[in-house]
Amino acid sequence: MTSETLSANDAQRWQRRADLIKKRISHVPAYLVLGGWSLVTLFMFVWVILASLKTNKELYTDVWALPTKLHFENYTKALFTVNLGGFFINSLVVVLPAVLMILVLSAPASYILSRKKFRGSNLIMMIFVAGIGIPVPLLFIPLFVILTALKINNTLFGLGVLYVALALPFTVFMLTGFFGSLPPELEEAATIDGASDFQVFFSVMLPLATPGLITATIFNFINIWNEYQLALVFLNDPKLSTLSLGLYSLTNAMQYTGDWTGLMAGVVIVMVPTIILYIILSERMISGITMGAVKS
Amino acid sequence: METRKRLIVLFLLPAGLVYLAFFLIPAVWALYYSLFDWSGFSENMVFVGLGNFNQLLHDPTFMMSLENTLVILVVGGVIIFALAFVLTVLVNSGIKGKKLFRAMIFLPNVVATIALTTLWAFIYNPRFGVLNSLFARIGWKAGAAFTFTSIDHIFWAMLVALIFMQVGFYLILLMAGMDKIPEEYYEAARLEGASQWQMFISISVPLLWDVIAVGMVLYSIFALKVFEFPYAFNQIWPPPQLYTVGIYLFIEGFGKRVPIYRLGYATAIGVVLQLIVLVIVLVLRRGMRREVFQY
Repeated sequence: MTSETLSANDAQRWQRRADLIKKRISHVPAYLVLGGWSLVTLFMFVWVILASLKTNKELYTDVWALPTKLHFENYTKALFTVNLGGFFINSLVVVLPAVLMILVLSAPASYILSRKKFRGSNLIMMIFVAGIGIPVPLLFIPLFVILTALKINNTLFGLGVLYVALALPFTVFMLTGFFGSLPPELEEAATIDGASDFQVFFSVMLPLATPGLITATIFNFINIWNEYQLALVFLNDPKLSTLSLGLYSLTNAMQYTGDWTGLMAGVVIVMVPTIILYIILSERMISGITMGAVKS
Repeated sequence: METRKRLIVLFLLPAGLVYLAFFLIPAVWALYYSLFDWSGFSENMVFVGLGNFNQLLHDPTFMMSLENTLVILVVGGVIIFALAFVLTVLVNSGIKGKKLFRAMIFLPNVVATIALTTLWAFIYNPRFGVLNSLFARIGWKAGAAFTFTSIDHIFWAMLVALIFMQVGFYLILLMAGMDKIPEEYYEAARLEGASQWQMFISISVPLLWDVIAVGMVLYSIFALKVFEFPYAFNQIWPPPQLYTVGIYLFIEGFGKRVPIYRLGYATAIGVVLQLIVLVIVLVLRRGMRREVFQY
């Protein structure tokens, strides 16, 4: 090896290293902006948790100080005295059956609409999806009349029915996107093997669609768990409050009690289930939410 | 073929019936109610034709709520999409931790609105809030004395919080669209010496057009019917400065401290809201229609 080729190699190596450093430097603004944004978000949630463990006096004196002692009594007070514990159970009683029912109704419908096209199926699809564009407040009064006539106004059951109906458009939109993306070969093979349409759906398509169904279910769970608008309109009995509505009432009462730390404990209690789900399943959720909107 | 028909009916009917009974029929029925002066007892229904709509035009509180809603739509929308685009480019610029950043920025979307508004009330609180106490600490007197939640500022304070919450959703939408664009396009452009910005304008934007269009429609619908976030933002009864069309509808229909039950009038507000949604979605779809890019 001559010295000339050696120096050429050296030059190449230096060039590569310089490129790498340049690339690293060009990434600095991205890290600053994204890191800053992420930190602010993280900081907000950590702060709420810290505040929920302080006494009100500590909070009023210095909002930046760490709690001197962990005051878990804020949580027992929120859960039992203010009854967020009872509201938590109300929420579970509404949300879990509603989420299951949405799946039972929308999975078969989405399967038909995306894979068994017939005359008028596109029109039906359009009518379903049009619901996304109907603003919920428009429905307040007619729904109030309907629920009252059915004697299910001011009941958790009635509220659950509304949650199911109002989730259908977006869920069908998501699931048709998902069913549409499945490969047709397995379906065809099963049909050739003599499986009936029902069998194809239950033993071939449903198992294949499981990831999509799970995503839709988490998405609906989080939305319904978090919502308080319909609960505010259709539940008058404070005992029936869902957790979000209960927390809303608590923020109202706070104007008189001044109990910020108790309120912060309530905020943490509302957030815990959805954040846990998110930590476990964030990738699946993120990919799923876009599955109807971004079609390949 | 008979079984095929049975399958279609059996699979579509349950969802269709629930959707009709508790969504579509009430929506159409609202048109009928909007023509009456009605306080909730059917014997008192008085037909007023378009009277409610005429009255809305001269209702300053309605106009204020409409203006607020349109500001959320236009100002909020422009800022949210601009931020989402910038963040998408940054996240996709080849850095490490792409998924972590995306997950952090999306996080507020999985948290209950009422939890977020409480959190922001804590941040903005004039007495011991995070921002005011921060300004006091660094010795910025004017900042420390600024009241974010005063009547004059509360709407903008709310909008900032709303934007912060929403950006993550459009970030993941745009990123999902980006993932569908073949990497070779960028490689080819890079070989030609294109800059990040050039690649963004001449590759990403055109190929993302469909996704952008869907995102804009979704945001418009969200913004026009927004209720929960501004309604809870002041913690107690929202001042009219925070009213959106959806909130004003609720207040007129059910929700004053002394309920007024102007059900016909409230429904007319809903009908106007529906018309605005229709117009804006149609305009967007018209405006965003372009030749389809194949890739």
